[in-house]
Amino acid sequence: MRRFWAWPSELRFRGVLGINQRNGDYVLPNNPRCYYPRVDDKLLTKQICVRHGIPVPQTYAVIERHGDIQRFPQLLDGRHDFVVKPCEGSEGRGILVIVDFQQESFSTSSGERISVPDMRYHLSTILSGLYSLGGQPDRAIVEQRIVRHPVFESVAVKGTPDIRIILYRGVPVMAMVRLPTIASRGKANLHQGAVAAGVNLATGITSGGVCAGRAVSVHPDTGASIQHLQVPYWEDLLSAAMNLAGAIGLGYLGVDFVLDVNLGPVVLEANARPGLAIQVANRRGLRHRLDFIDAQSPEMRSPERRWELLEQLAEVV
Amino acid sequence: MNARRATLPVAAVLVLAGVLCFSLRSRSRDDQKALPGDTFWRVVYKLQFTAKKPGAKVFVALPVDTQYSRITEGVRQSGDTVTEKLLSRSRDTREVVATTQRAGAHNLTFDFSIHLSKQSKWRSASTRARLTAEQRAECLQAKKGIEVNDPIVRQALDRIQEEPASKVDLVERIFDYCFAEIGPGGRDAPSSAAEAIKEGVGTALGKARAMVALCRAAMIPSRLVTGFQIMHGVEARPHVWVEVLNNKHWEPYDPEFGFTRELPHNVLCVRRDGGAIVRVKDATALRTTFAISRVSAPVGSAGREKNPLDVFDLTRLPLEMHDVFALILLMPLGALVTAFFRTMVGIRTFGTFTPTLLALSFVYADWRTGIVVFITVLVLGFAARKGLDRLKLLLVPRLSVILTLVALLMVFGVSLLDYFDLTPSAQAVLLPMVILTMTVERFFLTSEEDGVRFACQLLFGTLAVGLVCYGVLRWEAVGRLLLVYPEMHLFTVALLVMMGRYTGYRLNELLRFRDLAERNV
Repeated sequence: MRRFWAWPSELRFRGVLGINQRNGDYVLPNNPRCYYPRVDDKLLTKQICVRHGIPVPQTYAVIERHGDIQRFPQLLDGRHDFVVKPCEGSEGRGILVIVDFQQESFSTSSGERISVPDMRYHLSTILSGLYSLGGQPDRAIVEQRIVRHPVFESVAVKGTPDIRIILYRGVPVMAMVRLPTIASRGKANLHQGAVAAGVNLATGITSGGVCAGRAVSVHPDTGASIQHLQVPYWEDLLSAAMNLAGAIGLGYLGVDFVLDVNLGPVVLEANARPGLAIQVANRRGLRHRLDFIDAQSPEMRSPERRWELLEQLAEVV
Repeated sequence: MNARRATLPVAAVLVLAGVLCFSLRSRSRDDQKALPGDTFWRVVYKLQFTAKKPGAKVFVALPVDTQYSRITEGVRQSGDTVTEKLLSRSRDTREVVATTQRAGAHNLTFDFSIHLSKQSKWRSASTRARLTAEQRAECLQAKKGIEVNDPIVRQALDRIQEEPASKVDLVERIFDYCFAEIGPGGRDAPSSAAEAIKEGVGTALGKARAMVALCRAAMIPSRLVTGFQIMHGVEARPHVWVEVLNNKHWEPYDPEFGFTRELPHNVLCVRRDGGAIVRVKDATALRTTFAISRVSAPVGSAGREKNPLDVFDLTRLPLEMHDVFALILLMPLGALVTAFFRTMVGIRTFGTFTPTLLALSFVYADWRTGIVVFITVLVLGFAARKGLDRLKLLLVPRLSVILTLVALLMVFGVSLLDYFDLTPSAQAVLLPMVILTMTVERFFLTSEEDGVRFACQLLFGTLAVGLVCYGVLRWEAVGRLLLVYPEMHLFTVALLVMMGRYTGYRLNELLRFRDLAERNV
């Protein structure tokens, strides 16, 4: 029988991290405010990635002024597929994935058609700050479209799955794969209806997942199992994540990857306040793993020895 | 975890400081007994009337603060289904307007306290008047009972003016005439100026009206004043006297008791336009009784020399400010409620302080009207925003269009309510329009991006938290207490500090993570 309620003592026993504790005990003490631009500003994140040899989607253009919008289709240099996103957006808002450009109209990944004036309007709303944190004027990034890796073909509907890794003091502590659904309209956002599956840190193999707050083991649209899938390039993902966490300098960080068929894992963005649904996807609380990291000596947390921690972490429940 | 360890001491220090202030001040309030000779009075107005329809209005004038007297405690009103507003247009009037919500017989009581002190100077003695031409003309006009142009009045004035006199002398002579030549009469005696002069006898009102009529006939601006002479009595009678404009000052003359230029300190002025203390609109059978009784000196109404520490005593401020200040002081409690719901319960709302501001506007308006207007504006604004989306407008112009729409909707919404006689209050317009605009925009964006269900959830959360805030802001007793002891907000801050370090689960997380409680997953 499904329960309607969990007692705080039960959640504490299971090591579930609540929002207040995440903010009060992990985000506020470990994430200095001055480093926030490194994650809030996606261009800055990209620059840091490039500097550290972490693959990111290639930037085609950055639109900073309304005047630049008029030059928009020309900026593309004849490219037919690309992604437009706000530089300081959050939760995947304002992102348009264009797969084709023909007869003065764009086709999005979900099959909609967008005229050139509509696209220019979309760009101007991005610049006005509609999607940015706090409504500040923003920039628009036009970048390479990720061609999704065939590995999750059967469990990602109408969009590209992404992989989130949460790192604490530079060590990955939990990971999940987010799979778009029809309900999420191709977006990999859990609160919009996407599915999430927990990933074993040591092996990169998925376990059961969650959709709309309910535990699931199959994709709601395709019925294909979301368990026992191997995330390809798992070690590359982990090392890129650790690399990036060190470069950004935030103690509690979420890093989002997507898998490109050619590039392999690329970083999409990083997040200073990663959500807590990852716990539901993994059916594990974060607390015990965070405590485990806190209990380690600085030497064990050093880049060379982190890998040893991962296997132990995967066993922490 | 240094921050966490510091939290408790900080909260403890705040609470301690609060308790200290509280006890020190409540002790000093006891010490601050009134000066010798000060007296305290309780005045009760009892009203009976029959409203012809819902929305009948009662206008109740209250004593104006003078050099020697002031209302120390807010007006407590008891009676059925009446909304009240304290209006104070100038230092000349102070009026409570009560609106009935049903037809039929009503009983109302208004109750307030007065502090009389000969030594205190709450207000400068100056009664300097700056009259507009219109006001001046009004103080020279003939009125019912003040027959300025009646031949009898003219003849009487001619007799008084037989010997030429200066203006001040003339006023004195007119006063002497009304005081001595018009004898005091019982209830049946004439109460209009002409008749009182003609018969040489008049009621107190008749004598005062005679003086006003004579002054006005001599082109000296003058007016009738109604008030009370404060003294113990179960059934107090309103007292009537005259004010004459002399050298830009209003000077009182009391033809009933014989005082001139200055009245005893226990005379309180209530209404200066010659009207009755209580007036009704759309109601009949008004019966009013006034009771004045002496009470022992209450706590916290001292009169003494000016002291810089008085700044912390908010109760010394004029009555008009009390309600507003009480409301302002309640705002932090609204924020406390919001903080509680957001960090302990986990209810999500549009904007952080939108609920508090909504609640504030509900206090000024009526909450039902407030919610109806809020929902209507939101629904229509949403529809308009949806249509506007096709135009693909830039952010700021688009928001401005919505603001304009919201403004128009509010105005016409209230007008519509009025059309259907649904007792609108113009204060409903006080619903924070910018907040409404942003709510419309956020509601639209949320419904587009995260679905209408989620948007409605947020809306519901906003309204629910707003209503709880409203409950807190409505809590007048607490507002008054805060006005007396604003240091109680040290406790509020202590609570907020504690809440700011609350790292336990939010109530909604007990639901959200309930699956994780299962041991065998």
